Amino acid sequence: MLVSWNWLTQYVALDMNREELENRLAMSGLNHEGTESVFDDLAIDLEVTSNRPDCLGHIGVAREIAVLYDLPISFPNPNPTAAGPPADSEFTVTIETPELCPRYTARIIRGVKIGESPQWMQDQLRTVFLPVSRDWKPVNNIVDITNYVLMECGQPLHAFDLAKLQGQQIKIREAADGEEFEAIDHHVYKLSPGMCVIADANRPVAIAGIMGGADSEVGDDTVDILIESAAFSSMATRSTSRALNLHSPSSYRFERALDPEGIEWAANRACELILEHGGGTLDEGLIDVGATNWKPEPVVMRLSQIERILGISISVEEVKRILLALGNTENSSDKSSITITPPTWRRDLMREADLLEEIARIHGYEKIPEDVGVPMAASFKSDWDRIAAKLRTTMTAVGFDESLTASVVPNAWTQTYSPWSDKAPLRTISPMLKGADALRTSLVPSLLEVRRINQSLANPDVELFETAKIYLPQEQGLPREQWTLGITSGQSFYHLKGVIETILSSLKVNGRFTIESTEQDLLHTDYSASLRLNGEHFGFIGEVDAAGLKTFSLRSPASIAEIRMDLLVQNSTLIPQHSQLSSFPAITRDLNIVVAESVRWDALETSVLSAMDADILEDITYQETYRDPERDGTDMKRVLFTVKLRRNDQTMTNEEADKVREKIVSAIESQLDGKLLG
Amino acid sequence: MALQEFLDQLEQLVSEAESTFNSAENTDALEEARVEFLGAKNGKLKSVQKLMGTVGSEDKPVAGKTFNQTKGRIENAFESASARIKGGDGDTTRDTKFDSSLPGDRFKLGRIHPITQTIEELKDIMGRLGFSTADGPEIEDDWHNFVALNIPDDHPARDPLENFYLATAEANSGEKNPVNLLLRSQTSTVQIRVMEKTKPPIRIISLGRVYRPDTADATHYPMFHQIEGLMIDTKVTMADLKSVLRLFATSYLGDDVTIRFRPSFFPFTEPSVEADYYWNNQWIEFGGAGMVDPNVLQAVGYDPEEVTGFAFGLGVERLCMRRHGITDIREFYKNDVRFLAQF
Repeated sequence: MLVSWNWLTQYVALDMNREELENRLAMSGLNHEGTESVFDDLAIDLEVTSNRPDCLGHIGVAREIAVLYDLPISFPNPNPTAAGPPADSEFTVTIETPELCPRYTARIIRGVKIGESPQWMQDQLRTVFLPVSRDWKPVNNIVDITNYVLMECGQPLHAFDLAKLQGQQIKIREAADGEEFEAIDHHVYKLSPGMCVIADANRPVAIAGIMGGADSEVGDDTVDILIESAAFSSMATRSTSRALNLHSPSSYRFERALDPEGIEWAANRACELILEHGGGTLDEGLIDVGATNWKPEPVVMRLSQIERILGISISVEEVKRILLALGNTENSSDKSSITITPPTWRRDLMREADLLEEIARIHGYEKIPEDVGVPMAASFKSDWDRIAAKLRTTMTAVGFDESLTASVVPNAWTQTYSPWSDKAPLRTISPMLKGADALRTSLVPSLLEVRRINQSLANPDVELFETAKIYLPQEQGLPREQWTLGITSGQSFYHLKGVIETILSSLKVNGRFTIESTEQDLLHTDYSASLRLNGEHFGFIGEVDAAGLKTFSLRSPASIAEIRMDLLVQNSTLIPQHSQLSSFPAITRDLNIVVAESVRWDALETSVLSAMDADILEDITYQETYRDPERDGTDMKRVLFTVKLRRNDQTMTNEEADKVREKIVSAIESQLDGKLLG
Repeated sequence: MALQEFLDQLEQLVSEAESTFNSAENTDALEEARVEFLGAKNGKLKSVQKLMGTVGSEDKPVAGKTFNQTKGRIENAFESASARIKGGDGDTTRDTKFDSSLPGDRFKLGRIHPITQTIEELKDIMGRLGFSTADGPEIEDDWHNFVALNIPDDHPARDPLENFYLATAEANSGEKNPVNLLLRSQTSTVQIRVMEKTKPPIRIISLGRVYRPDTADATHYPMFHQIEGLMIDTKVTMADLKSVLRLFATSYLGDDVTIRFRPSFFPFTEPSVEADYYWNNQWIEFGGAGMVDPNVLQAVGYDPEEVTGFAFGLGVERLCMRRHGITDIREFYKNDVRFLAQF
């Protein structure tokens, strides 16, 4: 809201320093955005929050200044002389849609002389309009006066050329579907039901509260005029304005809760100024249809609440002074409370809490201390936070950078990889970013897109992870939001599997981690698998296949993995327990086993475990696999591994170790048909 | 020779070499021991290596691998004995080819995203002030995102153009009580969820992703992170709010700062303020704050006559950008690894 310094002085004396005034206004609710000189005047830009439409006019701002500086204030009290016949004798107004337009008033002035508005008015309008629109020019006395009154009190007005209103009537109705309307800006707007129009007998002549029509506006040949001053639904004004992408000073104000008393005041003020600067004869009375049916209710302000909420005490006298200066009227008061009725222009004052804010902002927030002793309280770090922090430490230690990517992705991405859900992803009505309207069901496509971006930047090493939610649709209600760790690497399946195993070891995850080959979209048929923890679906891993690389325009190999973070949190050990370490030396035995290709390492491992007491086996280390088809036959492989043995009670002898080794060999022989080499 | 026999010999050789090296008391004795075990012609290791030929060919890979490990172990034992003797008797053997300016063996460490780093720091500071972290869903219904937060039906904040509503909301519009789902536009939703389930006193921060339809440019992104604090108890005042914010800003900036309140308007607080902190000779916007509106307290089943509270909210991106001199918010979500490597 731009206000003119000179304009304000009509209502309140501005003897204070300008910067100090700007600062005090900012500190009491009208944030100062800037000040600009416009000829010999100043345009002060104040930000007005949506609860304060009373400050969308100079009078409202002047009132604030008067309260802050405890100054007297004087406003015009318009009382135009009506010498014509009753306004409603030849003209009718009907409201068909009271929910869109609760009240409509019209005044008629006949025989006006169109000309320039007075210089002082042009100057003041120039101050508030020129900074916004550099090609702004005054129009004529009638239009300038309606704009002047708008900027004076905040109530929008519209002047029609009475001769151009067909059928001697105005009808406020809903727009018909597809109805076309040419506004003063000479654009043609296509209207639709739900929008409110001001119509004459045959056609719309204004979009209610937003803009008048090109063919009913006041021009040089206008003689008789109709001044509209009305109340329109704020919601309908907002949605119409949005739908048409047509915003005006008028619509901006109707979107807020305006002073119902302002309707008549503004109409009178405009008539008075028109009679003074444009001549003519005012018809008797106001055509007044409908009612706003709102009046302010008394509010009780309990003095005890001031200290309870604000934390400071303010004297009763000061509380009263502030409330009354703001225009509230005192109904009654006693030792503990004051009952007031708010003014009609402050529809935001309905409750004690609202009055508290008024008292606080006028009294001054700087008086609230910033060094009170807030009691101490224990805070708790959740297991979740602890695990997530450890997880990030591990991931960065193994060389992965953390990335953050958008939760909403192009729908096509969700088709490429969605291992957690086969339901269609949830969609947003409007896209978040260009073409992105699907709530992702996997982090993998986003991470592959990041690989592509880095590839385009010629970054060679792209090792990334992200911890974020994925959104898995359910049969009904809110989706399941699954915290997920996504990883992408330029390295192999085994490298990535090693990363996951490192995470499990770093978080001391309890339970059985198993892996099984599965075919998945996007991934290489063989080099991919699904992961389980204690039998539950835990995650997915694999190398992206050639088609997948092509889908994401990737030129070099990529692998991905995705795991559920909730299972990590459930199964991690946050407080590890010490166990007594054996003080006796360990002894190792290497085993070189020939088995069929179909025997997986996990089967061998299980077999080894079955062959001995778990408490003497410290470690099984896989070494390598090689093949010698000439000696062993086809479809056979040699797997070399080492077992590390240790006893708690004494040194393990070579003989004991050899016995264990024999047991292992026979277990493998009987269970897996494998045999020891050598 | 059987593989195991060979391996046993290697093991024995290691322990023999270790004890000989360890008992050497000077450079000469150590050199003598070195020749004995590691000598190129007649060293014991060399002799054992020759035995490898007698191991069955199918065992060769294992034998070879273990031999190499053994050689490494013996060499290590020699090195450490050598180091021990040099240190002990002040031997000044020089390595003139050594270049200390060559790069060390560097490790590739990953980086934590600057947004996460900022969030962790804020959580840490608020933790010290007694605020625990609370989490909640990112997809919300209109009760938690609006109604309970005192945002009525006709409030502009509920406009479809101001929010990412889910398309499913249209699908169930035929039902009696259609539930509008949307990506949360603020983390205050978490506060409602916590208050619905917990009795006062409450001291929490909620943080995470929030979504608003802004066109992406240098200072806007349709997804960003918020941190919101909430304190509810029997005697919480605006002075507590100011004091907590001052401690928060002071901890974050590492120097004493002062806080200023400017009136503002949020549906869920009354009074509502914008909080600024004074830093480097200027007032800098911190975030929005206020006393929890009695309607909000009532909506979650609290009695506004019994308890009061404050709430505040900050944009994480803005704090992070200011702290690290980042000028384009989109950098956060592009994930150029060179960008990530800067933090």
